Amino acid sequence: LRDVYRHFPFHPGPGWADLHVDIDRARGLRRWLRPQVVFRCDGQHPFDPFPADSPLPLVEWGANWLIGQRCNDHLLFHAGVVERDGHALILPALPGSGKSTLSAALSLRGWRLLSDEFGALDPANDRLRAVLKPVALKNESIEVIRRWAPDAPIGPLFPKTRKGTVAHLAASPDAVARRHEPALPGAVVLPRWQAGAATQWRRLAPEEVFRALAFNAFNYAVLAEDGFRAAVRIARRCPAWQLVYSELDQAAELLAGEWPAACAEADAGSTADAPPASADRPSAAGASASAAIASSPR
Amino acid sequence: MNPSSDDRWHWLAALREPELAARWSLGEWERVIRLARRLRLLGRLAEALASAGLLDAVPEPAARHLVGERRRARFRTRGLTWAAERVATALGDAAYPRVLLKGAAYIAQELPIGRGRLPSDLDILVPRESIADAQQRLKAAGWREPMLDDHDRRYYHEWSHEVPPMRHRDHGLELDLHHNILPPVARVKVDAALLLAAAHPLRGTAWRGWHVLGPLDQVLHSATHLFHDADLTDRVRDLADLDALLRAGAAREGDAFWPALAARARETGLTAPLALTLWLLPPWFGTPIPPSAQRAAAASGPGRLSRGWLLPALRQVLTPTEPDADPAWARRPAAALLGLRYQLTRMPLTLLVPHAWHKWRHGSDGAMKWDDAPRPMKVGDLKKRAPDRAP
Repeated sequence: LRDVYRHFPFHPGPGWADLHVDIDRARGLRRWLRPQVVFRCDGQHPFDPFPADSPLPLVEWGANWLIGQRCNDHLLFHAGVVERDGHALILPALPGSGKSTLSAALSLRGWRLLSDEFGALDPANDRLRAVLKPVALKNESIEVIRRWAPDAPIGPLFPKTRKGTVAHLAASPDAVARRHEPALPGAVVLPRWQAGAATQWRRLAPEEVFRALAFNAFNYAVLAEDGFRAAVRIARRCPAWQLVYSELDQAAELLAGEWPAACAEADAGSTADAPPASADRPSAAGASASAAIASSPR
Repeated sequence: MNPSSDDRWHWLAALREPELAARWSLGEWERVIRLARRLRLLGRLAEALASAGLLDAVPEPAARHLVGERRRARFRTRGLTWAAERVATALGDAAYPRVLLKGAAYIAQELPIGRGRLPSDLDILVPRESIADAQQRLKAAGWREPMLDDHDRRYYHEWSHEVPPMRHRDHGLELDLHHNILPPVARVKVDAALLLAAAHPLRGTAWRGWHVLGPLDQVLHSATHLFHDADLTDRVRDLADLDALLRAGAAREGDAFWPALAARARETGLTAPLALTLWLLPPWFGTPIPPSAQRAAAASGPGRLSRGWLLPALRQVLTPTEPDADPAWARRPAAALLGLRYQLTRMPLTLLVPHAWHKWRHGSDGAMKWDDAPRPMKVGDLKKRAPDRAP
């Protein structure tokens, strides 16, 4: 834990914490026979125990689950988020997208990591908040990132977990130091890794972005109208592309090259429809946005 | 172990008087949020603060949790309201009354305790002779029963006060169709006809076609549901419901409320749960119960002997463990005793022994299986949806 959270300040005593998790050896017979570890939060055990040799994946996976369940003060896109020049690049997770790999790779080349899992949008001000944790790399991604940055701070390998082999990439000192600093949404890019493919960069329509964001969000239905309006605002404001790639270098280079223009476009869009002062209050901007989405061809 | 002897439970009063929360330090907020979330009271606290206009005064990190949980509660409540609408349509013009129970009833009546709940099932009551018809209509509307073996089928048919829980692929919650509030083989036999006779229709368009129990019966049912359940761990929410129902009753009917409640308890045979409620509530919630009402309840409630172990055991099990603490050592024996009492009051030994034997031989993981598992919403996968149903 100390290894993959190496740059985070240690927080021993009193003071606010949003999440309290506790991991302990299972008791009774399980202490001796195929030992297990148990995850506990606020006196409850929401999950089945894990084998004792992989406590870190259990902590990370359990904490993510709790964040997805509880943090309904934000709209939680299932997405990797990195920031550059004050603007956030949202990488929604579609199956096989490799958003964790791409987020990790970018975070090692001049982008600030906000999260590899949660695009946490505060619907009251349309800022993305960092949900900074170590990046969970799975299977081949571990080797890809090792090759990408040979000195990347990757923690121990945990083979044969529920999701295959897992290892965790520690967040950089800069990302940790700025973890309370939110970012303006800049652009949405739907990544798709495809073996041997030439790099492709295709502009997406707002309704495609809306679908990718809203229907993959952890708590879109929980936020109801607030969630709908927030997703519509992002889909309208942020320019969006689909990125098909097989070579990380080319993808990273392309993103860095396109970034200033994308940010300028997002800034121009954001002056057109500012977020409502209060998320509870219906706004004219939101109403016209919903009409636009409803009437757009599928 | 008496809750009144320390101030760990003063925060419960804030459910009723949210102004009290204004004095809490951030450390207190942290503890309250962790406890209240586990006890399923966080949404209610959030709604209480919001209706007093105090949500904005809560320190920022705590307020985020309150806002988030309020959203979750409203989401679940929307789900319940929608399911109830669909069930009402499915039952259509059937001539018998259909009564909303517990959470659904509180929500439909717009009681303060109906706000901020996290309903995970919809409980309804119909006359026993109409239950087959109700089941049939619901099945036609897409509600499905779990897959059961013959023993379970017989269990529900002959010994239970409800039919097997039903699910619908459009709905995340479970539908529990009851014909009584206690099993017909339980030691206390409740005449459901008495309850149905006192039920009254709801006004207002959103809940057209539904009834709720009479106000006294709502108190008695809430108490019965709590004290006739197998596991009382973290059931402070049910005590909070009872506190609010009693206060509302006393405010509505004045001094006449308590004798009327006692009389109704004798009539329905539910004197024991009422007595336990009246004994247990004041130290937790400061419920203003007149001594005469407590004396009357004591006279017809459990005898001195069973009270001697029952009350301490209930207090032990109902006292929530602190978020970071291990459960008190006395919890286990207390819970075991209450579990035994639960089994014995629920069915006679002549039924219990064969039932336990069957369950032991055939194994029961406690999880119901449906032949058509609920289809996940939209693109979201089941994994993402299922946890929200977990308590």
